[in-house]
Amino acid sequence: MARSRSPWRILVPIVLGGLAIVYLFPFVWMLSTSLKPNPELYTQPPTLWPVHPSLEAYHAALITAGDWVLLRNSLVVCLATVLLTLVLALLIAYPLTRLAVPPAFRRGLLSWLLSLRFLPSMVVVIPIFATVRVVGLYDRLLALVFIYAAFSLPFAVWMIKGFLSEIPPEVEEAALADGASRWRAFFQILLPMLSPGLLAAAVITFALAWSEFLYALILTATPRAQTFSIAVWSFVTEFEIIWNQMAAVGVIAAAVPVGLLLLARRYVISALTFGAVREKA
Amino acid sequence: MLYLLTVVVYPMTYAIALSLQYYRLGGFAGLHNFTFAFHDGLLLASLRATVIYIAFAVGTEILLGLVLAVAVQRTIRSTLGRTLAYLLFIIPMVTPPVAAGVSFRLMYIPEYGILNVLLQHLGYHGTPILWMSTPSMAMFSVISVDVWQWMPFVFLVLFAGLQAVPLDVVEAAGVDGAGGWAQFRHIDLPYLKPLLLLVVVFRVTDALRVFDPVQVLTMGGPGAATEFLSLYLYKIAFKFGNLNYASALALYVVLAVSMLFALFGRYLSEEVA
Repeated sequence: MARSRSPWRILVPIVLGGLAIVYLFPFVWMLSTSLKPNPELYTQPPTLWPVHPSLEAYHAALITAGDWVLLRNSLVVCLATVLLTLVLALLIAYPLTRLAVPPAFRRGLLSWLLSLRFLPSMVVVIPIFATVRVVGLYDRLLALVFIYAAFSLPFAVWMIKGFLSEIPPEVEEAALADGASRWRAFFQILLPMLSPGLLAAAVITFALAWSEFLYALILTATPRAQTFSIAVWSFVTEFEIIWNQMAAVGVIAAAVPVGLLLLARRYVISALTFGAVREKA
Repeated sequence: MLYLLTVVVYPMTYAIALSLQYYRLGGFAGLHNFTFAFHDGLLLASLRATVIYIAFAVGTEILLGLVLAVAVQRTIRSTLGRTLAYLLFIIPMVTPPVAAGVSFRLMYIPEYGILNVLLQHLGYHGTPILWMSTPSMAMFSVISVDVWQWMPFVFLVLFAGLQAVPLDVVEAAGVDGAGGWAQFRHIDLPYLKPLLLLVVVFRVTDALRVFDPVQVLTMGGPGAATEFLSLYLYKIAFKFGNLNYASALALYVVLAVSMLFALFGRYLSEEVA
C-alpha cells in the first residue's frame, strides 16, 4: 500500500506547484504590465518584468483619466450595501432563530432565499432597468445600493443564521432573567458575541458588491454613478487599448477583494455555498 | 421581507407584462414574443454556444477538481501544505470576473502577450495563435477563464467533503486490501455524491449567466462565436432596445432554471440543510 503510493507523494506536490504557477502567473503578468512605461509595452520579445518599473500607468488611469471618481463611487456603494445588508439580514435572521416561528415557515423562507441564489441575474435585469428608470434612480448610486443589498441578502441571512444558532439561547435568557429588556439583551449581549460573524458577512458582501459588473453597466451612464468595474471594462472598449493602464485598473480591482477575503478566508466557502460546506484553514 | 418582495417579485410580474406586449407598438401581443423565439436563428446559435461552453467548462472543472481533491487528501498531510493550497485556490474565486478577464486578455494578446512567446520558446514556430479572434480559440479562451476561476471552487468544496469521510472506514478498507481506486469508487464517491450534485447545480446555473469575463475578453465575438445567452439577451434588450422580446427569452430561462432547481432543489436542501 505505502509502496504503491509513494510515487504519488512526489507527483502531487509537483502538480500543485505547477498549478500554483498557473494560478498566480496571470496576476504577476498583470502587475508587470501595469508597471511598464509606455515604450516598454511594445518591445519584442515582451519583457517578463519591466526594466524601468514606474507608476506612470496608475497615475494616468486614476488621475489623468479621472477614474479615481469611479473608485470613490465603488467605495461608497460597497460600504452602503454592507450596512443595509447587515441590518436587513439581522432583521430576518434574528426572529427566525430566536422567536417562536412555525418550522414550516422557517424552512420555506430559507429555501426560498436559497433559490434566489440561482436566479440568473439577466432575467431580472430588464424589469429592474425599467423600474429604476421610472422611479428616477437611473444613473444614481442609490439604485446600485438597493440592488446589491437585495442580492447579497440571501447568503447574508444564511450566514448570520448559522452564527446565531451557534450562540446558545441561554445566554440571552440569562440576561432577560436578570431584568434586561429584549433590546438590551440584543445590543449588549448578543451583538458583541456575533461580531466576528458579522464582520465576515460584511467582508464578503463588500467583495461581491465590489466585483459586480452587469447591473453597474446597465444602470449607470456617467461618472456620477459608475463603479470601478466599469472603469476596468471601459479600457477594453476603447479603439486603441492602452494595455498598461488597463492592467493598472485590473490590479486595483483585484487587489481590494483578494486582500479583504484573505482576511475572512475561513468563511468564503461556507458563504458561497450557503453554509453547505464548512471548512477550516 | 417586503423589501425582497419588491426587488424580486415585482420585477418578475413586470417581466411577464412586458413579454406579452409588442415591441415599439405596445398593445397586447399574446404569445407572439414567445413563439418568435422558435424562428430566431441567432438565438439557436447562441444556445449552441452556451451549451458547448457549459459542457466543457463545468465538465473540466468537475473532473480536475475531483481528481485534485482526492490527490491532495491522500498525499498532503501537513497542515501547512493544506493551508497553502487553500489560500492559493481562494484567490481566483474572489478576483472580480472583470479583472480576471483583463489579466487573461493581457496574456492572450497575439503580438505582445506572453503566451505566444512562451509557445515559441517551447518550440512552436507556426503563425502566432490568434487567441481571441478565431471562433474555436475564442471559445477556448473564454472557457479557460471560467476553469481558472471556478475549478478551485469544485476543489475546495469536494476537499472539505473528503474531510468528513470517517478514517476508520478507510483503514478498514485498507486492511481488507482495497486499492486506491476501489477506495475512491466505494468510499469517497458515495460520500461526495451530494456535494458533487451541489457543485454541478451551482456551476451550471452560474455558467449559464456568465457575462463579465466574456464581455472583457471577446465581447461575444468573433462574429457570434462566444455570444452566450446572457450576452445575446443583453444585446437584444440594451443595444436594440427590444425589452419585450428579451423579457420573453428571460422567462424561458427562468423556466429552465426552475425546472433544474425543482429537480435538484428538494434533494439538495434535504442533503444540505
